[in-house]
Amino acid sequence: MTADQTEDAAPPILRLAGVTKTFGPIRAVDAVDLDIRDGEFFTIVGPSGSGKTTLLRMLAGLEKPSAGDILLRGERVNEVPANRRPTAMVFQSLALFQHKTVGQNIEFALKMRGIAQATRRARAHDLMTMLRLPHDYYSRPVTRISGGERQRVALARALASDPAILFFDEPLSAIDYRLRKQLEVELKDLHRETGKTFVYITHSLEEAMVMSDRIGIMRQGRLIQIGTPDEIYTRPLNKFVSEFMGEVNVLEVEQGGDGALHAREVARALKGPKLPDGATRGHLVIRPEALRFLGSGETADNVLEGELYNEYALGSRVQYHVKIGARMFVVERLREQRAAAAPGTTVTVGWNAADSIIVPD
Amino acid sequence: MGGGCREPAVRVGCDGASGGELVMVVVAKPLTRRLIIAWTACVVAFLYIPIVCVFLVSFHKARYFSFPFSDFTLDWYGKAFSSLQTQELMLVSLKVAGVVTAISVVLALFGALAFARFNWRGRKLFQRLLLLPIFFPQAVLGLALLIWLTFLGVLPSWQSAVFAHLVWIAPIVTLVVSIQVYGYDAAQEEAAFDLGATRLQVLREVTLPALAPGLVSGALFAFLLSWGNFPLSFFTTGADSTVPEWLYTRMVAGYTPLVPTMGALIVIGATIMLVLGYALIVLRRRRANSHG
Repeated sequence: MTADQTEDAAPPILRLAGVTKTFGPIRAVDAVDLDIRDGEFFTIVGPSGSGKTTLLRMLAGLEKPSAGDILLRGERVNEVPANRRPTAMVFQSLALFQHKTVGQNIEFALKMRGIAQATRRARAHDLMTMLRLPHDYYSRPVTRISGGERQRVALARALASDPAILFFDEPLSAIDYRLRKQLEVELKDLHRETGKTFVYITHSLEEAMVMSDRIGIMRQGRLIQIGTPDEIYTRPLNKFVSEFMGEVNVLEVEQGGDGALHAREVARALKGPKLPDGATRGHLVIRPEALRFLGSGETADNVLEGELYNEYALGSRVQYHVKIGARMFVVERLREQRAAAAPGTTVTVGWNAADSIIVPD
Repeated sequence: MGGGCREPAVRVGCDGASGGELVMVVVAKPLTRRLIIAWTACVVAFLYIPIVCVFLVSFHKARYFSFPFSDFTLDWYGKAFSSLQTQELMLVSLKVAGVVTAISVVLALFGALAFARFNWRGRKLFQRLLLLPIFFPQAVLGLALLIWLTFLGVLPSWQSAVFAHLVWIAPIVTLVVSIQVYGYDAAQEEAAFDLGATRLQVLREVTLPALAPGLVSGALFAFLLSWGNFPLSFFTTGADSTVPEWLYTRMVAGYTPLVPTMGALIVIGATIMLVLGYALIVLRRRRANSHG
């Protein structure tokens, strides 16, 4: 499940072959192979320290690989510095030029290419229209606009020179939830409108799911799984990936001779998918939304009794913590399917074997 | 002093120039306000009356200090500008202050960048060692430098005074510039580089303009501290003499009415520099705000 096995008609815009970056004894990026297709929205997801920022900086030309090759449209660009690559980066801090106006920021790349003032200005106005920035912001200092507007100025500035690839270094990480959700949608729409290749990094798989065509999961300098959001969601490679998705119920299980699964924390034998051939233990992953409360007469493949510990309203959904044996289970239901029981009472929880998956460590 | 923001009792961010920072200003009651005004007037008088006296004396026709003042004249200013000796004095002061300013701003820029951006071994220790000369009595520092220069076989002149001034002034300028550097996101430089700028363009388009306010204040500090310095110059100029040195030697022996005049000229020189520096900052800000 590494790079694409199928030969695409179009060659990849960016090909990474064994790209490695070492800082002293630390392998920040460890032999990454990856093909990024022309025009796709590719997101690299990983916790902090996984090497994703270092990888992105190498792609942008801000850092040189210690080993391996980076090919841009088939040409090796390892030694080409950032200022001579046809790519642009949107930085985590946005890095807008604080002493310049909105217009001067957007036009910067064009000015560096010696393009005439009138042409630059026209281009800046086009970009401002596309990103829905009012034209009278042109002469305003960047310090006097709002956070969301600053994001759009940073995007316009990166787009000004018409780069082949746009890199994003977690630009939404410092933004409050509501604005972030809105900007995620805007970014995906911008990707559609421009048709450019976007390479995005984030520590939030949720954010990656919303926007990406494909996602690469990074851990300890390695890309451990690459796939569409759907593939990552339904077939996570291992426990790490499945837990990265947010709150899930993971039970360490062993398979008995009869095919039943036994978890240490749960007294009853469980029904679930088969472990891979040769394996004796694995992790049973049950999503919070796969669990439901069973009334009298209702049944499921697995039925457990526990104490409803607490409930948390999440807008359209409600989350419950249910204590079963020594273990807290997370259950998520739509608001209209909420539990009739109050915290402290005993409830019956069930799920079907087909709604759970088995992953290795 | 109490003026500016009056209506509400408590106001946040009333100072328009402070741009975004939160400043809590509590408006005082009438009696408190009167006391504040009286106190402020006392402080201002205490600080400025001596300098005003020097100015008054510099216009005084008589050869010696006397009170009350009788006739006023501009003769001494005419003499100060026409005398070859005083011209030479001002030239030496100007040369020393100019060279000290140029060198200390460059040292401060790179020093401040190194402190703010990189974490290297011994950084903290170096920072303390660098600041230590500020706390030495300047006379002791001057003497130490003179002994060292003699030991090295360097003939003291205005150039060695430049060196002496730098020992004391460069750390102060580094501190002033550091404040600006700490509040500056260095990712702006990477962004400029990523957008196609060469290293030189990054310096010209991003680093220098972003740090300009700090560099201007640093340069002002350097110039003014060097321009008015006496103890370090006294030990290290050798045969050359700066205006403050000349003032001292003339007071000790051979007083002339040019003394208060030259004193007044030093203050005027410093004031001109301050006004120029301030004008530069205001102009920059205005241009940044009205870019079309």
